[in-house]
Amino acid sequence: MATVPIDLTVNGRGRSLQVAPHHTLLDVLRDDLALTGAKECCLVGECGACTVIVDGRTVDSCLMLAVEADGALVTTIEGLAAGGRLTPIQEAFLDEGGVQCGFCIPGQVISAHALLEANPHPTRAEIEEGMAGNLCRCGCYQQIIEAILATVEAAHP
Amino acid sequence: MQPFAYARPTTLAEAFSILQAYGRDARLLAGGTDLIIRLRDGTARPTIVVDVKRIPELRPAIRKEAGRLTISATTVMSEIASDERVRRHFVALAEAAAVVGAVQIRNRATLGGNICNASPAADTAPALLVYGADIVAVGSAGTRRIPITDFFVRSGQTTLQEGELVVAIELPLPSGPTGAVHLRRTRRRGHDLASVTLACLVDANGVTRLAFGSVGPRPVLSVDSSGVLADGAADDDAKAALLEEMFASASPSPGSMRASPEYRSAMLRLLGRRAVGTAVGRLAGG
Amino acid sequence: MIGRIGASPQRVGGRGRVTGLQQYVADIQLTDVLHAKLVTLACARGRIVSIDTSAAERVPGVRLVMTAADLPQPVPRFGPQFRDRPVLAIGETKYHGEPVAAVAADTKDAAEEAARLVKVEYQELPAVFTIEAALDPAAPLVQDADLRPGDKLATTNVLREHRVGWGDVEGTLADLIVENTYEFPMVTHFAIEPHAFMAAPDGEGIAVWSSIQHPSWLQKILAGILGLPLAKVRVYAPDPGGAFGGKQHAKYEPLVALMALRAGRPVRLVLTLEETFQAVRRASARINVRTGFHADGSFAFQDIAADYLIGAYADIADRVVGKGSYPGCGPYRVPAARIIARSVLSHTTPSTAFRGFGAPQVNWAVESNIDAGALALGIDRLELRLRNLARQGEAFIPFDTPADGHWELTVRRAAELIGWGTPLPPGRGRGIGVGIKSGPTTGLSYATVRLLADGSVIVYAGTSDMGQGARTILAQIASDELGAPLDWVAVVMGDTAVVPYDQQTSASRSTVLMGNAVLNACRDIQSRLRAMAARLEGIDPAEIVVEHGVVRLPGREVPIVDVLKPGLGRLGGELIGNGEMRKEGDPGHPLGGSAAFFEFNCTAIEAEVDSQTGDIVLVRHVTVSDVGKALNPLQVRMQDEGAAVMGLGHTLMEHYIFDEAGRIRNLGAIDYRIPTSMDLPLELLSDMVENEDGPGPYGSKGMSEGALLCVSAAVAGAVREATGAVIRDLPLTPERIWRSLQERRDG
Repeated sequence: MATVPIDLTVNGRGRSLQVAPHHTLLDVLRDDLALTGAKECCLVGECGACTVIVDGRTVDSCLMLAVEADGALVTTIEGLAAGGRLTPIQEAFLDEGGVQCGFCIPGQVISAHALLEANPHPTRAEIEEGMAGNLCRCGCYQQIIEAILATVEAAHP
Repeated sequence: MQPFAYARPTTLAEAFSILQAYGRDARLLAGGTDLIIRLRDGTARPTIVVDVKRIPELRPAIRKEAGRLTISATTVMSEIASDERVRRHFVALAEAAAVVGAVQIRNRATLGGNICNASPAADTAPALLVYGADIVAVGSAGTRRIPITDFFVRSGQTTLQEGELVVAIELPLPSGPTGAVHLRRTRRRGHDLASVTLACLVDANGVTRLAFGSVGPRPVLSVDSSGVLADGAADDDAKAALLEEMFASASPSPGSMRASPEYRSAMLRLLGRRAVGTAVGRLAGG
Repeated sequence: MIGRIGASPQRVGGRGRVTGLQQYVADIQLTDVLHAKLVTLACARGRIVSIDTSAAERVPGVRLVMTAADLPQPVPRFGPQFRDRPVLAIGETKYHGEPVAAVAADTKDAAEEAARLVKVEYQELPAVFTIEAALDPAAPLVQDADLRPGDKLATTNVLREHRVGWGDVEGTLADLIVENTYEFPMVTHFAIEPHAFMAAPDGEGIAVWSSIQHPSWLQKILAGILGLPLAKVRVYAPDPGGAFGGKQHAKYEPLVALMALRAGRPVRLVLTLEETFQAVRRASARINVRTGFHADGSFAFQDIAADYLIGAYADIADRVVGKGSYPGCGPYRVPAARIIARSVLSHTTPSTAFRGFGAPQVNWAVESNIDAGALALGIDRLELRLRNLARQGEAFIPFDTPADGHWELTVRRAAELIGWGTPLPPGRGRGIGVGIKSGPTTGLSYATVRLLADGSVIVYAGTSDMGQGARTILAQIASDELGAPLDWVAVVMGDTAVVPYDQQTSASRSTVLMGNAVLNACRDIQSRLRAMAARLEGIDPAEIVVEHGVVRLPGREVPIVDVLKPGLGRLGGELIGNGEMRKEGDPGHPLGGSAAFFEFNCTAIEAEVDSQTGDIVLVRHVTVSDVGKALNPLQVRMQDEGAAVMGLGHTLMEHYIFDEAGRIRNLGAIDYRIPTSMDLPLELLSDMVENEDGPGPYGSKGMSEGALLCVSAAVAGAVREATGAVIRDLPLTPERIWRSLQERRDG
């Protein structure tokens, strides 16, 4: 099957790849780049487990073809803790108890990170709305919201 | 997902030649939030997917020109929802765009995609209907403006002709003050497909425009030019009768999983009443 | 020191979870692996006429197309309760989604294409999808009667009938009898991690990776099917990405193992979310409750008949029916009780364990019926519950463990937090529910703990940490007992070749059973330390106490490591402790054993209802559990609030919708809705009662299911008080509330 060459930057590192047009960004991240932090669950853009940041905005990587990411800057969960140091939002997820099974957490952390980049002082309602695209069946929403609020509080005491 | 080829034209002309060459075997890709689901479940089986997001003629995303706001077809919902001009002049559209999926979807889903899919539940459609939008379609034969009232046929079908591409949606700027709102019903507060989606626009002359979706094969516009609906002093029974008339064409499908026809019908009427109230209030509040 | 009992340190394993480095089964890459895809039919019950695999086999990269004919004959059947589930459908499918074949290929694309090209000729057969249809005397049998030799119910779709009772229901007089029928929907686990399985030939045996809760049980099932000794079946069980009961028992591991052995290569099968809907669900139920009250509000009797609609194969569903219905009368003093529960087979997804294990269904009915009685008697709902609530030590189920907590404290705390009895604005109402669940009736856990030469610790436990936080709790216990900081404790789980046997991770048992096993292993080490210290000091061991990380010598105390290092000497080495915890069964008991503990919860709700739309706003949701002792208070809160949110799912929005062919119409995340962050109550408050009266370490009890048990009844009670609408079907959708209010207006 014909593949298409693409160049993209993933977590700051330039990548040149040959991808099948019908493979999603999620497929390529997981299968070709071995970045398995983004998870596969619903594959219809409902659960957010595959959330990554493309050119500054969160997307469900299951609903984006890899070829569409040609030239894009992609940040996955693996790109957050540079040098092994957790970001404040990652620390807050652990401190506030936002993590149970953890399967949705890469997507949750990415969404929380992007939410705070776009809106450093979100209200609780804005957090609830901004995180609604990330399902957590362990039901840790309250702790996740608290983690985001705690991060805001720590950044702007 | 079954394999397909991929094209990323950089001019409209190039896009047309691909569409011409492949005909029905080509599918346009904008945000992909519907198409990729269909590619995966096999209900769309194109041989080529044509990505229209990098055609310069489709930018800038939103521009204000003489008497109108033009939104390019590839503008995503989050841009529309946060755009100051849209919020100022077309608040019902901003509100509708803000509830299309969760943020990850809104960062990808485009206005062009939302209307070209012609889902009866498309949330932006009622807003575009009350604002009297024109759909700007370009084909090899040239450009034509399709009034949105003539655009939707039924679920998945529009009056676009083969080889035609929607490049923009034009919204005439209101000549005077208006009040508008978008309301919907869903099964949960988090993102969901609407079981009723409705927009209402009231202008200073007392004309009320109500448009509604998810209660029939296509979104529908209904207009009260009598001024009764928007008249705070008018008789409630007269308003109820008028609303009944305006919603007469609604025919919610009995096959829906989201809600029964009876409930949808009742909620349509309720949302209609509430929307008129909100729109009138917003008009008064400036 | 961090990690001590009663503290809430960052969870063990949390770092990998927030960085994306935690590997779940689907994240593990095996070289040379084949990708498997299941082949299913477009109906529930189809007679397989023929299977043509030739086109599939021609797809480049396809290495194996497996049908029942390629399996050992007779096709092996398996199951935790009955050996009824075949590795692949034999002759006919029993539910929509049951595989008739599977393909394995070099790539996912090839596997998907080949699966599409397997041509199955089949004839759709009459099938049953509801309790009514399944119980119709003319209904087709879901299970062949010859699979149930000697079973007089074998000619019906009733798999089993469970009867429990005491006192004389017929002979007891009551001042008021309230009888109603309640329905509970079919719902699914929707773990965000879809089930994933891999298998690879491993020397003379097999290695299997699974997102399984019970690796030891899976090892036994596989050994039986493959004819291998346990030692040659190695089960890797990476921490599941959510399980909730849906990953307790073997599903496609036998198939994948047989495929790997046949292909001579590793095979992986990762289900789609849709396929998980077809693999696991909770039993729906129809429950008739007849409650007898005395005029003072005390119970005269409870008479409960519950039909649970289980699926096409039993899985653990019949145990769910028996055990879940058993405490159906609740934590109350009930002089006479009769509980009849039936597991009814149907041509649907096999139902299985799901948080609450059959108790939420009956709880919904009985707690709602208690509300109805309170209303009729004019007695406050809280007051009526308190009046009947069993006091600690009271044998409220005459032949079982007596009430093991001061439960009234839990109920009073919930009432206080919801502001019970204070004035409400119009359109609002409050509801309260009490839930109880029997803990494990049998259990066996072993643990090994190694105290290394530098004072760091490795704990080996067969528990699965599926999010409940077992790693953290077990590490905290070892940290506390052996004096190592929490980050000096490693917890090894999920590899049957490395960790000792554990019966299972279910019924909220791990803190109590595995926790005690780890505690005992630590005590084993402490006794060796005591001997070591006695030798070093030249004193009698009886003069030495080792506990909570320190060695107490006459007149002084030293950290364990100060004894360990000189005690081990120049060669170093380590101390190894083994621990065991058993909960013996009782063959004469209706459940095969008494409850190790009870999970007890009280949930109270304040809700506002829009009477025009039926929309419910949960203004406040209070959940309080009796946990004995919170070893980690934050984790207790996370479990309770998580269970509360899950309970809101089936209470407000979740249910399978079927078509006429028995297919789930809302198959997948678009039309099967679960709560999002926007669907939280405006206020979600959890609290706990701690009297250190549980059988677990430091007086703890099992917890994590309790807060789900009585959500439905509490919400429905609040809706009724707010609007007058009485709803006996879940979920409480706005449409149902609206309809009920319409009927009241019209009526």
